[in-house]
Amino acid sequence: MIHVEHLTKYYGDYAAVRDVSFDVMEGQIVGFLGPNGAGKSTTMRVLAGYLTATSGTVQVAGYDVFWDPTEVRRRIGYMPESCPLYGEMRVQEYLRFRAGLKGIYGSKRRSRMDYVMNRCWLKDVRRQLISTLSKGYRQRVGLADALIAEPEVLILDEPTSGLDPAQIRETRGLIRELGEEHTVILSTHILSEVERTCDHVIIINKGQVALDRSLKGGENAAQLEELFVRITGGD
Amino acid sequence: MRPMLTLIRREFTAYFLSPIAYVALTVFLLGTGYLFGFVALDLLTKKGPVGIEYPMQEMLGDERFWLVFLLIPALLTMRLFAEERSSGTLELLLTAPIRDWQVVAAKFIAAMGFYVVLWLPTLLYLPALIGLQKAEFHPEWSLSAISMLGGVGAMAIILLLLAAPIRPGIKLVLFLLPLIALFAAGATLLFVDGSIKSGAVLSAAGLLGLVFLVAAPLLIGRPCGYRFDTLVGFVLGVWLLLAFAHTAYYGWRHFVKEDVSLIHIVSRIDHWPVVTSYLGIVLAGAMFLAIGMLVSSMVKSQMVAALISLGLSLAFVLPAFWRPETDTGSLDYRLRNFFSVPVHFHHDFTRGLIDSRNLVLYASVILCCLFLTVRSLESRRWR
Repeated sequence: MIHVEHLTKYYGDYAAVRDVSFDVMEGQIVGFLGPNGAGKSTTMRVLAGYLTATSGTVQVAGYDVFWDPTEVRRRIGYMPESCPLYGEMRVQEYLRFRAGLKGIYGSKRRSRMDYVMNRCWLKDVRRQLISTLSKGYRQRVGLADALIAEPEVLILDEPTSGLDPAQIRETRGLIRELGEEHTVILSTHILSEVERTCDHVIIINKGQVALDRSLKGGENAAQLEELFVRITGGD
Repeated sequence: MRPMLTLIRREFTAYFLSPIAYVALTVFLLGTGYLFGFVALDLLTKKGPVGIEYPMQEMLGDERFWLVFLLIPALLTMRLFAEERSSGTLELLLTAPIRDWQVVAAKFIAAMGFYVVLWLPTLLYLPALIGLQKAEFHPEWSLSAISMLGGVGAMAIILLLLAAPIRPGIKLVLFLLPLIALFAAGATLLFVDGSIKSGAVLSAAGLLGLVFLVAAPLLIGRPCGYRFDTLVGFVLGVWLLLAFAHTAYYGWRHFVKEDVSLIHIVSRIDHWPVVTSYLGIVLAGAMFLAIGMLVSSMVKSQMVAALISLGLSLAFVLPAFWRPETDTGSLDYRLRNFFSVPVHFHHDFTRGLIDSRNLVLYASVILCCLFLTVRSLESRRWR
């Protein structure tokens, strides 16, 4: 589904991502782990087509991100870090606008809006201004936006940051459910989250892939933490 | 195309969701209201030789008006990209399946739309300014007049069809009627009028439209499965343009050949300077908006965007203040006039002149700024 080969991204002289290669199969939920500044967000931005790689190729569903950006973007639901939204719009208006922007209209738009608002528990706040929503609700709106065009791939940059434990649990459950229909990549630095939601983990450190392995073996959070610390060289 | 329409709609409504729109509208209307009520109208209604020749000049030909006016485009464009950049929503916008140039075009069109809305209330001054008298109706039923009215009717029907909430399939059938009527009108004129040029072009266009209509489903290859909505919208749009061209052309013929208008309105001043003034307003405004948008796409803070675009726009106003005594044929005189918008209005637009030099300046600045805006958005890719 996603094929990344020798991806390198420089910001000026600084290499944020260096020679990263990995593959994500259809239907997988992949956890993207790494310390702050390891290049997680940069990689995701390249995947979503916001930034362009300095070198290397990225393909999503067989389309190259650089050469067919619109085809790729049609197949991706992207939620950026910190989840920016238009505060002056109402939830419903915002989703309507995003659906239109992604080429969904008419009865399809109505049914998709209904679906995502149900799925992300937004029914009660749909007439509310986004600027008045709490962090948890904003995160849900971002997720609903990512889902609205029925993308094959979901790219979620820190979907649970800033949420309270109950919300984290809810979101985690939702992502698990979504993993049955979509291929999901999510970044986080909460280890227990990876353990509970993902079936594959990629640890990235200093811009390079340090570990790329399946979680089918049933590692628990403690083991993962051990691995993480060993790889990132923390003390 | 439709994602762009969605974006235009959002950008346009966003003006009304923030206080900017209301501040700009109020300040602007107070300003133009003052100029109209206390300056232009005063002079216009004075008895004797004091009355002025070109009332529009009193409002638009004044360089001080432009100095203040520059605030408006800066206010309207400062948020376009700067706000999205600072709040991070730019990332969301640019990862949607829409091209960078479409984003730029949509934002520019929305800004233009609001700019035009800003000027609409000033149309209220016009009846007083022109001193309209009772309209007289002199119907002269020549073929051209009938064809012109037919075109207007066709436009009305097509517009209604576009807006009507009926099934696209029925729309497709219904809009064939005005289309055929237009075609018939064009063809009749071709034979009756004897002039090949008149009807031939539009009839040929009509025929092409029909062919397109029949061929489109076949070309797309899915006779029943294609997107009716999009296709019907597109075809209707094309036909609206053709109907407009038809109306304009036969209206012009009617005006020129028979030299009798359908409706006769007596006004105290010439109406052409008013028309050209508004044309100039739209074009010059588009230039300032394009400059503002370019600046907004390069900075993060709205305030900075507004100030820089104000500074850049001043380059097109300040030359009007600097008037040393020089030979009117000299290069620096001509350069100064070429770059100063108030002079364009003082000399040309408010007197009913459309000078191609002004248009060239506006068009080139607009295109250059739009192009650079697209590039500046793209720069995130290699930075």
